Amino acid sequence: MSVIDQLTGEFARLPGIGPKTALRLVHHLMKGPKDDARRLSRAVMELAERIRPCARCGNFSEHELCEVCANPRRDSGLICVVEEAFDVGAIERAGQYRGVFHVLGGRLSPLDGIGPEELSVAPLLERVRASGGEVREVIIATNASVEGEATAVYLEQQIRPLGPKVSRLARGIPVGSDLEYVDGTTIAEALAGRREM
Amino acid sequence: MHLSRLTLRHFRNLGTQDLELPPEGVAIIGDNAQGKSNLLEAIYYLETFRSFRGARDDQLVAFGEGVFRVTGELVAVDGSEQPAAQVAAAYEKKGKRKKVTVDGVEPERVGDALGRVAAVVFSPADVELVSGGPSVRRRYLDIVLSLSAPGYLHALQEFRKILVRRNAALKDGQPGAVVMAWDHGLVRSGAAVVEARRDWVQSRCRAFDEYYSAVSGGVGARMAYRSSVHLDGARGEQDIAEAYRDALVASSEREQRNGTTVVGPHRDDVVLRLEDEGDDLDLRDYGSGGQRRTAALALRLVEARTIRETRGREPMILLDDVFAELDGGRSERVLGLMEREETGQVVLTAPKEGDIRIRRDALPRWRIADGRVAA
Ligand SMILES: [Zn+2]
Repeated sequence: MSVIDQLTGEFARLPGIGPKTALRLVHHLMKGPKDDARRLSRAVMELAERIRPCARCGNFSEHELCEVCANPRRDSGLICVVEEAFDVGAIERAGQYRGVFHVLGGRLSPLDGIGPEELSVAPLLERVRASGGEVREVIIATNASVEGEATAVYLEQQIRPLGPKVSRLARGIPVGSDLEYVDGTTIAEALAGRREM
Repeated sequence: MHLSRLTLRHFRNLGTQDLELPPEGVAIIGDNAQGKSNLLEAIYYLETFRSFRGARDDQLVAFGEGVFRVTGELVAVDGSEQPAAQVAAAYEKKGKRKKVTVDGVEPERVGDALGRVAAVVFSPADVELVSGGPSVRRRYLDIVLSLSAPGYLHALQEFRKILVRRNAALKDGQPGAVVMAWDHGLVRSGAAVVEARRDWVQSRCRAFDEYYSAVSGGVGARMAYRSSVHLDGARGEQDIAEAYRDALVASSEREQRNGTTVVGPHRDDVVLRLEDEGDDLDLRDYGSGGQRRTAALALRLVEARTIRETRGREPMILLDDVFAELDGGRSERVLGLMEREETGQVVLTAPKEGDIRIRRDALPRWRIADGRVAA
């Protein structure tokens, strides 16, 4: 297999990239300055070698602890539980949250044989237990799918006996969407989860 | 509103045809296996986006073809030429892809496009509604309610999704706490399904009785929703949810043993009973052939009434050689009933001219041979 075919094949395995786009990317790199290709290659290498899960929360990290866990100004009494490390980025970008995270690495999914053992549930419970009461609240921010809901129910049952308050991320009308076009379930949930103003 | 135009592309043996339907309907005459029922199946496909004969979508694509497409145009009764709505459905065998559009726009979910035609099919196979197992009657309820009760289909789909996952957890021998994580959603969606079904059966019991006695020419019959959850005294959805939760707790040993969820709407049934000189018979177990066919007809008539009331217009009636198996007295009475009640469009099939019993002279005749319709 030629180098071109090999790299095209690698690109094509990436999400959202078909064989045509893959080939276009390879041609682009071949035509451009060699330094561009070297820089890309180095960045990919570093990503592979330096990114690992945070030892405490499971977030992407370049060090033992991720930027959130290592930041002394974050409130470690407030843990937000998410399914995947990408979800941390989504909440961080909103810029409102001051607590810390815990990444489950998935959701309860019996059809795929995924139970609590396959997820980072025990480490979460251990974190809460070991804090000796410092963890006041756990916010469960799993997705609004049937699996995400079941995971939230399960975690709530496990965490509440340990002391902290357990809350669920409120669901509602997506910002910027017209009420008119929002489906009934979302509206019903937004109504049920309404807050006093 | 009525179906004014039907365009067919490779649906079963119907080939490529563009048919204009008269407002009063049409009688389709043809020998067996020429495509009479296929035509009704194509029309009803635009109502529910699945075969009323239980065929899979890929079985509906003509032999040697990759895609079928059915398009229907509906016009208002006032006679305006402009179509009031256009419903289209296509299925691609290779990609297993179904595409539904209403007025050219693909709805977010296929469920949003259900019931546009407002049609009811009467078929000789309907006797299964009475003599078949509980799942046949649940499917009947699910279709009628998906077409008439807002939110029903959503609750049902949610329930099914949760049920397969909960069952997988049970089968996998997951600990009780993991199984119970699914209970919240199961109970919430399941209670909505049970409530809608029970209320429908209760409120339509009288109509069922009336239709049954009108067709049988004598005694009436009753229907009742029989739930695997004890519903005595449960009034609204909250009560039902509580009863369902209790039932899950009470059955937890049994479900662990069986590795599956043993209570809930997926185990419910509709009981059809006949009172005959003081005797109370379950029609499924003890009904005669004629009594079962009568009950099946009554169920379809109740369905038609439900559609009339919820959609606010006369349903289109599709009759698939339906009088072939009824005795003379019964078919006369059904005909009388339909002539009185159903003033909507009628499309019926019959093997011979002489078998046309409804709107005898009012309906234009189409002949069908080898899938081709000749007006
Ligand atoms: Zn961390």
